[in-house]
Amino acid sequence: MTALVFDGSFDGFLSVVHACYYEKLDPISIQPAEILTLMDEARYIETHQANAAQVYAAIKNKISPEVAYTVYVASLSPEEDRYTALLAYIRLGFKVGHMVGSHLQVEYVRRVRDLHRQAAGEAHLLFGFSRFVETASGVFYCQITPRNNVLPLVADHFTRRFMNQQWIIHDKAHNQAAVYDGKSYVIAQNPGDADVTLAAHEEETQDLWVAFWDALSIESRKNWKLQRQLLPIYFRKNMTEFTRQRPIKKPPGDIGRFIEG
Amino acid sequence: MDVMEKLTILADAAKYDVACTSSGNNRGPQEGMLGHAVSCGICHSFTADGRCVSLLKLLQSNMCIYDCQYCHNRRSNDVQRATFTPHEVAELTMRFYQRNYIEGLFLSSAVVKNADYTMEMIIETLRLVREEYRFGGYIHVKAIPGADKALIHRAGLLADRISVNIELPSQASLAKLAPEKTKETILTPMKYLKDGIIQSKNELTLYRHAPKFAPAGQSTQMIVGASPESDSKIVTLAEGLYNKYKLKRVFYSAYIPVNPNMPMASPPLTREHRLYQADWLLRVYGFSAGELFSDADENLSLDVDPKCHWALKNPQFFPVEIMTADFKTLLRVPGIGRISAEKIVAARRVGKLDFNDLKKMRVVLKRAKYFLTCSGKVFEKYHQSTIAARLKDGTDFQQLNLLEQPPGIGMETQTASMFVGDKATFSSHDTASSTGLILPVSHQKGAAI
Ligand code: SF4
Repeated sequence: MTALVFDGSFDGFLSVVHACYYEKLDPISIQPAEILTLMDEARYIETHQANAAQVYAAIKNKISPEVAYTVYVASLSPEEDRYTALLAYIRLGFKVGHMVGSHLQVEYVRRVRDLHRQAAGEAHLLFGFSRFVETASGVFYCQITPRNNVLPLVADHFTRRFMNQQWIIHDKAHNQAAVYDGKSYVIAQNPGDADVTLAAHEEETQDLWVAFWDALSIESRKNWKLQRQLLPIYFRKNMTEFTRQRPIKKPPGDIGRFIEG
Repeated sequence: MDVMEKLTILADAAKYDVACTSSGNNRGPQEGMLGHAVSCGICHSFTADGRCVSLLKLLQSNMCIYDCQYCHNRRSNDVQRATFTPHEVAELTMRFYQRNYIEGLFLSSAVVKNADYTMEMIIETLRLVREEYRFGGYIHVKAIPGADKALIHRAGLLADRISVNIELPSQASLAKLAPEKTKETILTPMKYLKDGIIQSKNELTLYRHAPKFAPAGQSTQMIVGASPESDSKIVTLAEGLYNKYKLKRVFYSAYIPVNPNMPMASPPLTREHRLYQADWLLRVYGFSAGELFSDADENLSLDVDPKCHWALKNPQFFPVEIMTADFKTLLRVPGIGRISAEKIVAARRVGKLDFNDLKKMRVVLKRAKYFLTCSGKVFEKYHQSTIAARLKDGTDFQQLNLLEQPPGIGMETQTASMFVGDKATFSSHDTASSTGLILPVSHQKGAAI
């Protein structure tokens, strides 16, 4: 029973799985290196591309491609127990095959299902809630602050949607940015601040959007609780309709624009 | 008048239309086009009243020559009038889409001059958006009753979804409240759309590049409570529309008094909610309209949801055994939705299930427990006669009965629906909750066509 640490990447985690199989380890915890405290007596597992690829191919072929993708998406969750749950899940998968996700009687199977839903769910929300601004250079810039590390999923979506538009999605929470040049994107770590000088008609467009959005609410039916449930407050600081000043000032919160809880 | 003013007038006039789903079609990105459509639909924002904002929903114009009694834009009302140029709508659509404000465009219109003129104006907008602005995202367009076949066909080729509103549940009501519209002007384009959609599907199986005609299908909307039809009549009509015209969705909107000479009160919101639930049972759960009503019950119960109601009337069907019942049978259990049924079917293949497992799998047992057995065991013994009372929902009931109920039971009730366990299916948009279930109020204000 040991604690394992690794570099925190998905390949790193797959290398950990590899080590657990080949060295018959049964770790009590698996954490990215930065979480390690002095108290822990932990062993560091190096990331090996080849080992990672071998494990990923094994999951795909011996369990199923869907399970492999589920494991990847669940690993994007920020929950501390994600890697231990995933290791157990993969082990069960090698025993029972592609039906592993059906074993809902088993606690860690439910846990992986939840982690996957959390991450995939936040990504899906961001497909809708992300807002871009047009900059003077013609590049569209978007800032997000997700809880799960879902930038790759979000960038994949916008690669399909805005195929012939240049854009940057800046994940300020994880200090990284996806930069798309009209063909493919790369993810840059610690990208620094972007130049967001606005294009000429950007402000006008934002005003039109908030005017449209304001016109949609049916006053007599206000339901803050429902709105908060469907559009959690923590997304709102990045959304034009909640941050943009209105020409005529309405009392704060009057039209459902809370940003603070 | 500048675009900002027009936008405020024509968005306001369109906002009561309930059909706000952007789903039903998967169109991959195409070279040279901006945007794609995904079949699950995406909500881009939520209004203060909790409705999903997904499409840029606009009227091309609200200068109506008709005088429908229930409509805010009718010609005899003194309201601000405006008309967008096709170019203005196209520009707004592109700018909003590029910033990811919206999933696409929903374009409708009041009848300007005549049906054909209006349809041509709409088509010109769509043509501009698709062919010149190269927009590849989702478009839902309304067909104007009475417009020429060729025009409707053209619109169908440019849009993902196209719809004609049935407006009212009977010909008599139509004659009374929307005298310029007739059953024929509404059903003829509907039939035409059905044929077009089927033909296009057939062609597509033959030639991959055949033009797609309304690939997300057609839908319709009807106003409830402005005229005297019973729920049974409405749901039977909806069933007929699904079967005969192959509609993807029927939307119901609770009537709201906006004009004099009309009934003064809206129907209870619960009624609209129940209609959506009944509709869901038809479309997704394999019920028929006939099963939901009897001679004695012309209307859906306001106390319990229609599935519970049906279950209580058909005790011979229960209890259902969780380990062996087939998927369709599980779906008929009150409180068990698609997701729960799928989880049960998956999990029982690999092991035995008891009530505790169901709870851990987050199958909501609040209602289901009265109708299930797990390996022959019941959850708890109940008297058949008390089940009905335990299943009632609605806040009124909760408040009135809290004191008379044994502890815990009154508290259990809430304004929930039979879909409680299935939040996930619900938030995924081609369902009523993102629009109809929570919406009511004066949809017809700008019902347009
Ligand atoms: S419902 Fe349509 S046709 Fe009738 S008055 Fe209103 S806008 Fe005109």
